[in-house]
Amino acid sequence: MRVGFFVTCLVDTMRPGIGFASLKLLEAAGCEVVVPEHQTCCGQPGYNSGDHKSAEAMALKFLAEFETFDYVVLPSGSCAGMIRVHYPDLFKHDPELSARFAALGQRTYELTDFLHRIARLEKVPGTFQGTVTYHDSCSGLRELDVYRQPRALLATMPGVKLQEMVESTTCCGFGGTFSLKYGELSTRMADNKCQHITATGADAIVGGDLGCLLNIEGRLRRTGDHTTRVLHVAEVLSGEEK
Amino acid sequence: MQNNAIDFKRQVTVKLADIKLQGALSRLQSRFVEGRSAVISEIADLPETRNAAAAIRDRVLNDLEHWLLQFEQQATARGAIVHWAETDEDVNRIVAGIARQHGVRTAAKSKSMVSEECELNDALEQAGVEVMETDLGEYILQLAHEAPSHIVAPVVHKNKEEVADLFAEKHQLPRKTGIAELCREAREILRPAFLNADMGISGANFLVAETGSALIVTNEGNGRLVTTLPRVHVAITGIEKVVPTLEDVSTLVRLLPRSATGQSITNYVSVLTGTRGDADHDGPEHFHIVLLDNGRSKLLGSDMQEMLRCIRCGACMNHCPVYQNIGGHAYGWVYPGPMGSILTPLLSGLEKSPDLPNASTFCGACAAVCPVKIPLPDLLRKLREQQMERGMKSRQETFMLKAWAWLALRPNLYALATRIAVRVMRLLGGKERLLHRLPGAHGWSDGRDFPAPAGRTFRELYRQGGRK
Amino acid sequence: MSAREAILGRIRNARNGKDRHEQAAGATEAIAAHLARHPRGPAPAMPGDLPARFRERALKLSSDVLETADRKEVPTLLARYLNERKLPLAGVCWPSLIGLPWSSAGLDMQSRPARDSDLVGVTGAFCAIAETGTLMLLSGAETPATTSLLPETHVAVIDPRRIVATMEDAWDLLRQECRQPPRAVNFVSGPSRTADIEQTVTLGAHGPYRVLLILAPAR
Repeated sequence: MRVGFFVTCLVDTMRPGIGFASLKLLEAAGCEVVVPEHQTCCGQPGYNSGDHKSAEAMALKFLAEFETFDYVVLPSGSCAGMIRVHYPDLFKHDPELSARFAALGQRTYELTDFLHRIARLEKVPGTFQGTVTYHDSCSGLRELDVYRQPRALLATMPGVKLQEMVESTTCCGFGGTFSLKYGELSTRMADNKCQHITATGADAIVGGDLGCLLNIEGRLRRTGDHTTRVLHVAEVLSGEEK
Repeated sequence: MQNNAIDFKRQVTVKLADIKLQGALSRLQSRFVEGRSAVISEIADLPETRNAAAAIRDRVLNDLEHWLLQFEQQATARGAIVHWAETDEDVNRIVAGIARQHGVRTAAKSKSMVSEECELNDALEQAGVEVMETDLGEYILQLAHEAPSHIVAPVVHKNKEEVADLFAEKHQLPRKTGIAELCREAREILRPAFLNADMGISGANFLVAETGSALIVTNEGNGRLVTTLPRVHVAITGIEKVVPTLEDVSTLVRLLPRSATGQSITNYVSVLTGTRGDADHDGPEHFHIVLLDNGRSKLLGSDMQEMLRCIRCGACMNHCPVYQNIGGHAYGWVYPGPMGSILTPLLSGLEKSPDLPNASTFCGACAAVCPVKIPLPDLLRKLREQQMERGMKSRQETFMLKAWAWLALRPNLYALATRIAVRVMRLLGGKERLLHRLPGAHGWSDGRDFPAPAGRTFRELYRQGGRK
Repeated sequence: MSAREAILGRIRNARNGKDRHEQAAGATEAIAAHLARHPRGPAPAMPGDLPARFRERALKLSSDVLETADRKEVPTLLARYLNERKLPLAGVCWPSLIGLPWSSAGLDMQSRPARDSDLVGVTGAFCAIAETGTLMLLSGAETPATTSLLPETHVAVIDPRRIVATMEDAWDLLRQECRQPPRAVNFVSGPSRTADIEQTVTLGAHGPYRVLLILAPAR
């Protein structure tokens, strides 16, 4: 199968290793992966801030770049949710376009969802040793029903022990521009999350959305925790966590 | 009630620092979140039941005119008098008029959020009617001169020590310490109020069009007392609360207490129709139903209509990580949490509540638990769109959004800009690979470091790697 | 223009452009049809023994439950229950129940609506609901609402054959047996309670502190 890979703007700029880790996993699953060269951002920041127009323009750009693939895969639940759930909604006024977006959305997957349910990856390349705890990012969980998938993949790794935190499905407080506009509130929410993480004693906090991970890591480091590793699930599964 | 939502940001700071409040809010998770979770599973087909509940609400909202007329006709036929109020002030005028008409000097009141919209108690006091709140939480707030901070658990922000101090001061009785003793004391103080009241005031959770009934759910029994003992009963509610049939309301009652307090059913569900019969020993001689619009009708037919499905269970706020951290008062008006962040701008003015639609991470926990499937994050997003369209966003934010979009639509320029940006940030991150300060984004960096980027973008590395 | 006209006018206008004419024409018929059919929503399946389910659910709601095959035993059961709790052996009951042998069980029972000073109130029930362990009480001259409300102890004598599965079944029974709902239909599910202070459940808020359900077949 021919998979179009959308790296997402955050991974592209902040932690490209997650992109390469994802490629490694998709290839391990036997996919032919293509990375369209001119991809940028899915338009979520504008969309969630009330700027419909720019979101529409970016959605059209995305459609042009990705419509031809059998599948589109992203290492982010929130961007995948944007494409699957919100793109068709953006074009409700145009039935033809909306249908095309809906069809594209049907073929668009968050990485672990794709690896587990579609590609049925059973053996992952990674060899991580240690205890991890998993943070369920909101959009992946509630828009795409991503919960079992990353856990099932981690369970194939003999060295990984998953120690669940309490309230793993509670928001970490990132929320895109929310984290800037309501910094104090966002920080408190991150703080609650970090306390739950710390209480597990895990070596690493693992998640599927870089936004949340930057938020969590930022708070852990600020509060003096320089040892708990903060990893994207693709990094753990692929063995690219360094 | 005056809308103080403009003060939201400052209130957040105050509430986050309020240790007592934080302690009180920590109970939300165990009592309400876990409580709901334990009983909602009793509903065999929850998705189907939620669909049915949403459909019941939509049936009415899609033809509210005729359902209201049907309700009015039935209620009137049974001897109730239906009043229509355009605004909160109209409600106050109507209820004061009813009190005057029936020579009412004292009123006992059970919980009604609509009456909070109107600040009815103040209006009645000015009209010479002594009003006693009888829901324990509302009674505590009346003594303390405070507003509710939750639509179901109004005094969730207070702990028992505060209540004990308040009772000792106001009741002039020895200070009690146990919760049961405090409840007993309030019962004994309030019992005469029920017995002596000329008028009972209540809300109505639903209005049943089939029978012209007002349905009230309560746990304490005060709702039953104020609608049984006084000679006049006034029920105040919003025009959107109509439900077609007794079967329809049964579906909603299956969801409401489970969603609200984690109870399979509230202690009392009272379906009140008309006035007392000739031979009856109890029940009001006069039953008035006041229907309030106050901005609701203008939501019909708009893209915000789904908000009118709301049955005021409070599950959205119980599950909201923002509400859980700041409580209800920070929201500045009657309704807090996600439903309040939509209703307050809609009913009381978006320009007076600029923060409310934005103070959400769109985590979606609210929509996931809403018994009538209101797409709360979508409605919040629509309010953000309105702010953008009406030029209510800050210049800085609008500029940043537009600039990002402009760049993202120009891939080559985007590539160049991001390559420069990540290199600069990498350098600033130093050996620690952490940025401690982000100029222009202190909201982030006041409480968090920012993990420095790797220094090269995925796209440039991928190209260099020669992979296709 | 009255507030009523203004509100209804705004609601009507909101429908503009939403196939208003068609809707308005069909609206009254659609409403009448829905009321006539009063369709049920999804309700839990309730296989098996309704009294057993009722009992189990009632206990969960902190009601006490006793059973007897002979209705004449009710006073004895109640006297024992009150004695065990050191409660007064006096109260008021619905007129339909005054014929039970109260005094031979040592109880001073009066047939009248309850007053504030009464400590025990004995009622029947229109029916009971197994799904939630709930009583359905109808107000009326012979079934005063205060009896289940003012006293600290509420006792309800229930015919197990009058236990239905769901609230929807209870409405059907009401439609069959009564022309219209009485002034008050009260569904009662255990002793009154409040959790307003620290979300800690306390029994006995403004209504009864305890509810005793006695399952006893009517003759």
